[in-house]
Amino acid sequence: MIVLLSGLALLVAAALAVIAMRNHRHGNTLFATLVVLGCGLGVVPAVQVLYSGTATSSVFSSALPGGDWIIGIDPLSAVFLVALFGVGAAAAVYGVGYMAFDPRTPAWPCHALFSLELVALALVLCAQAIMPFMGAWELMAIGSLLLILTEYRHAEARRAGLIYIVATHAGTLALFAMFAVLARASNDWSFSALATGTTSPSGARIAVLVLALVGFGVKAGFVPLHFWLPPAHAAAPSHVSALFSGVLIKVGVYGLLRVITLVGPPPAWWGWLVLGLGLSSAVLGVLWALAQHDIKRLLAYHSVENIGIILMGMGAGALGTAYGHPSLAILGYGAALLHTLNHALFKSILFFGAGAVYRLTGTRNMEELGGLARRMPLTWLAFAVGSAAIIGVPPLNGFVSEWLVFQTLFRAGFSTDALRIAVLAVPGLALVGGLALACFVKVGGVVFLGTPRTSRALTASKPGLLLDGPPLVLAAVCVFIGCLPVLVLPPMLIAGAFVAGMPLPPPDAGAMAAAVGAKEISIMAAVLSLTAAGIWLIAHRLRRTAPVRYSETWSGGYGLPSARMQYTASSFAAPLLEIFGRLSGVRTHRGASVFHSEPVDLVLDSAVIPWWGVIERAALRLRPLQQGRLSRYLMYVISTVVALLAYLLVRAGGR
Amino acid sequence: MPELMMRAATLLFVMLLAPLIPGIASRTRSILTARRGAPVWQLYSDLWKLVRRGSVYSRTTTVVFRLVPIALVTCVIVAASMLPLDGRSALLRFPGDVVAFAYILALGRFVLVLGALDTGSSFEGMGASREVTFAALVEFGFFIALASLSVATHQLSLSGMLGSPALADTWSSSAPAVIMIVAGLFVLLLAECSRSPVDDPTTHLELTMIHEVIVLDHSGPDLAMILYANALKLSVIGALLARVIVPAMEFSYALRLGVLVAGLFVVGVGIGIVESAMARLRLPKVPLYIAGGSALSAFALILLLQ
Repeated sequence: MIVLLSGLALLVAAALAVIAMRNHRHGNTLFATLVVLGCGLGVVPAVQVLYSGTATSSVFSSALPGGDWIIGIDPLSAVFLVALFGVGAAAAVYGVGYMAFDPRTPAWPCHALFSLELVALALVLCAQAIMPFMGAWELMAIGSLLLILTEYRHAEARRAGLIYIVATHAGTLALFAMFAVLARASNDWSFSALATGTTSPSGARIAVLVLALVGFGVKAGFVPLHFWLPPAHAAAPSHVSALFSGVLIKVGVYGLLRVITLVGPPPAWWGWLVLGLGLSSAVLGVLWALAQHDIKRLLAYHSVENIGIILMGMGAGALGTAYGHPSLAILGYGAALLHTLNHALFKSILFFGAGAVYRLTGTRNMEELGGLARRMPLTWLAFAVGSAAIIGVPPLNGFVSEWLVFQTLFRAGFSTDALRIAVLAVPGLALVGGLALACFVKVGGVVFLGTPRTSRALTASKPGLLLDGPPLVLAAVCVFIGCLPVLVLPPMLIAGAFVAGMPLPPPDAGAMAAAVGAKEISIMAAVLSLTAAGIWLIAHRLRRTAPVRYSETWSGGYGLPSARMQYTASSFAAPLLEIFGRLSGVRTHRGASVFHSEPVDLVLDSAVIPWWGVIERAALRLRPLQQGRLSRYLMYVISTVVALLAYLLVRAGGR
Repeated sequence: MPELMMRAATLLFVMLLAPLIPGIASRTRSILTARRGAPVWQLYSDLWKLVRRGSVYSRTTTVVFRLVPIALVTCVIVAASMLPLDGRSALLRFPGDVVAFAYILALGRFVLVLGALDTGSSFEGMGASREVTFAALVEFGFFIALASLSVATHQLSLSGMLGSPALADTWSSSAPAVIMIVAGLFVLLLAECSRSPVDDPTTHLELTMIHEVIVLDHSGPDLAMILYANALKLSVIGALLARVIVPAMEFSYALRLGVLVAGLFVVGVGIGIVESAMARLRLPKVPLYIAGGSALSAFALILLLQ
């Protein structure tokens, strides 16, 4: 614990340093160094807990109601801490380079807030009692609001901030209600004390599980609670988007899993509900992503998709405990956790790449880009690896976790009880994979390949080491996990067993990883690379024997191809979006010489904003109550006191 | 070890045989339509011709374009190594290798389609868009078929599904389901391997092509490798189909190999018959066609889950 706390202290020091040295040349360097050191220290105890499977904690006595404040790491929080510190360190370094591109926005407030946000997130993940949890939760919510508002001069950022703060506080309200139900009969509000009281009546358990799904669901951002996510991710600076997508929304996943450890194995209907929400979130998320033209909004919708995949694993895990298949439960939860970690890695790469493109071209609109592979080769390399990882092809980390989710669902089909219906989610997940492939071909092909569509794309230069280094490091980690899953899988299964409420000694996790075939993945990766090397040699030989000429792209015999003749992102996605009709949420404009499509968020634009108007009108009716006159407020106070006294009298009389 | 060598030899045999299957399809078509037609080994001579030719690269293209043939051939070979070609077991087998099989083919497609966009050509962009659209739908249907096979045999790997006695048991206990899986897989095979009625390999108009238009700018040895990879993919999926139709686990090695060759021959003839009997579908109808194939497997899955 000391190591973790000193890591957090270093993060706070980083914030202070960047404020104190805001006009100094080396202020940013010191900030980045301190954040990397702090994250490096913080990740050590998390990794220890993950591989040993034993939890640590320390107690801080508090005179406040609700009992002691307990800060600790168990296998569940350790997974998320690893993602937090990994993404945090990379994003801080990247952020220093990213913020330097915009001379009008001072960088130090963003940097200071960023490292404090890391501390708040770490505290949320380590808090093991209600009071510190909710305190850190609110710190995190406010910190992320301020981070979204970094570029507050843009109306887009202010709107995104408003939507975010409304959404997150609605979620917090549900959490207050949930914890109130959970802790109603207990004076000790520590998680360990609450977890022992799992024999609570089923009505309360149902309330807790449903409220958790709403409260944590807003943060996790599955459909239909995702509506705050695309505007916030698009408006925030790119390194902050990476942190949001990689860690902040995962805190919602963490909360759901934490609640499972508190109330015990959830009933079957909850598992089905989570599986269904996950599937619909995954399919709709990727479909809506396909419709986007803004590269960061597109990536944000992919986060909705990946949260869906994580929920599918979680739902399968919950069904495993509900129907009494412990190995399925461990596999499902383990798959969800591994995908959480993997998504944090590859989505950060993609946001880093998108940010570099935005900084060097000044636009996030894909239709204005093209041909950037020649101008930003390292950015493209990292982005291509990240794309391949997110669509889940071997030998990358995305494949490993999707393969685990698939295995869980396939194995569910072997059972003889109602659980076997879960196998119907298999083709759904496959469709998601196919759609994600289409979407990332669109991004990679339209942004990085072909010819530049505008002068903005033509004049882009190399982004430099600060913007290219962090994504390349993360890409190497993606390849590493994809080729050697046997090193990463056992701790995830330990954490999965922890969530499922089954004490699993570490050796069993290794045996289970072997049973699901983790070693063979490495063999497959080796075969793949050796075959590729062999084929490359053959191709090299064949290409050398004959003359090579260079010419223009074939365009039906036309000799003067131009960039405008290229396929656009809109046209590329149109056939798939047409198949899904209204569900795909696009408005298309067709003319004799134009085809243009414009994405609409079916939840935000068609449901939330109209309902927001209703709420606003209702609130206006209440306005006469608030007139700013002291006499009236005194009257409110006195009448409240009188009402309370009357209530006490009635109760006393009834006794 | 000798077992492993035998499996490798089978893979090599299929790799050598692969260019014959498209030849069988076009020979069938020429016989049925009463034309003289090209010889069965036409693709072999085409490949031999192409590898000796020089190549032309578009100045727009980058390294992605040059990676396409390598990635395609590699991915199809590795996917083939997960299929129990000899009827018992594959070179590579592990729980969930069905997912790896499909996703490795997807990796090849990812590079292929990126290479198409690398040329900056509107034709190839169009082809790429169509390819990913139909591939996403085919993936959906293919996994329904895989899920049905997995539910029927309680296995997680292709070798387990196709090389275990469980498949033969399923044939005897619920033959209608397996027949529907076979029919569904054949429908999807035609879509996945860009054959009629989804795509027309003989068309000469860029606007009507799907697969052909993606590789419009490839030439020489690169084009040869791509054509070869396609032929091999047809054989791999054909072999999958053959193994579902005839669970040959108990037979001798020679007989199992014979079943495979016969199965591939039947697939080739089947493609030829379909191609001479029906024209290419209009593009907006293709999703319906794939949905039909998926529905067949879905009925099988429901029957098996019952």
